[in-house]
Amino acid sequence: MSVVNYGTREITCKIVYYGPGRSGKTTNLQHIYSKLPEERKGKMVSLATETDRTLFFDFLPLDLGTISGFATRFQLYTVPGQVYYAATRKLVLQGVDGVVFVADSQSRQLAENIESLQDLHANLAEEGLDPRTLPLVMQYNKRDLPAAEISPIEELDETLNFRDVPYFSGIAVNGGGVFETLRSVASLVLSRLSAPAVGET
Amino acid sequence: MAKEPNKQDPEEEKGGEFDDFMADISQEIAQRVESLDAKPKPKPQGQPEERKKTPAVPDAGVIVDWPNIADRMIEEMR
Repeated sequence: MSVVNYGTREITCKIVYYGPGRSGKTTNLQHIYSKLPEERKGKMVSLATETDRTLFFDFLPLDLGTISGFATRFQLYTVPGQVYYAATRKLVLQGVDGVVFVADSQSRQLAENIESLQDLHANLAEEGLDPRTLPLVMQYNKRDLPAAEISPIEELDETLNFRDVPYFSGIAVNGGGVFETLRSVASLVLSRLSAPAVGET
Repeated sequence: MAKEPNKQDPEEEKGGEFDDFMADISQEIAQRVESLDAKPKPKPQGQPEERKKTPAVPDAGVIVDWPNIADRMIEEMR
């Protein structure tokens, strides 16, 4: 995906929230959406089943206005976490600039977290993206649950964060850690902005 | 050590978190654009300088970009 376009003076970044089913990906986007000032509120597109599980994906266009002469947009997506929506996850990952991996902190969900992370790596590799270098941030969500039900942060990080990328404790249901996570992944993506090759826009 | 989430202040202005985010990101983008602009790009010889059009900033409140995959999925559902 073209991140910076000098011709049209646009910066566009695609960020995908990845993770197992019910880990809180959609909740992250809903919180961001709820905090947008009215004048910047576009439409959050959410395709959910009748039981509120994400069917295809969520899409939140974030128009940040003109910054340093560039019209800047972040496009935030989630993927459906359920195993059987593998094809959708691959589609959503196309052209991704950065990933937030939303892990479910519940101890009983550890295997699902690992499976989802492996799925992410496999899908990135299929897209020709290097999972070792793509901007990635971890969010260990649901830290508000009773301590007996969740794994310690250190244990989650030891198991899931082998790239040693930035990680955040999250309580997405009340917004805890949501913007910190977004800011971190945005920063990583922006740090990779590069000028287009000569002849390109 | 994980960064702990900020405590949510019920009195916090609605756009407060977003404003903080915008401030940080704006600064980051400004620095980045400045560093990119500092690298001169070679221009083709003998061609008149093209006038840049003023970019049209889309109106807020509308979907500014629709992902192609959405069209594809809708097609597949038919």
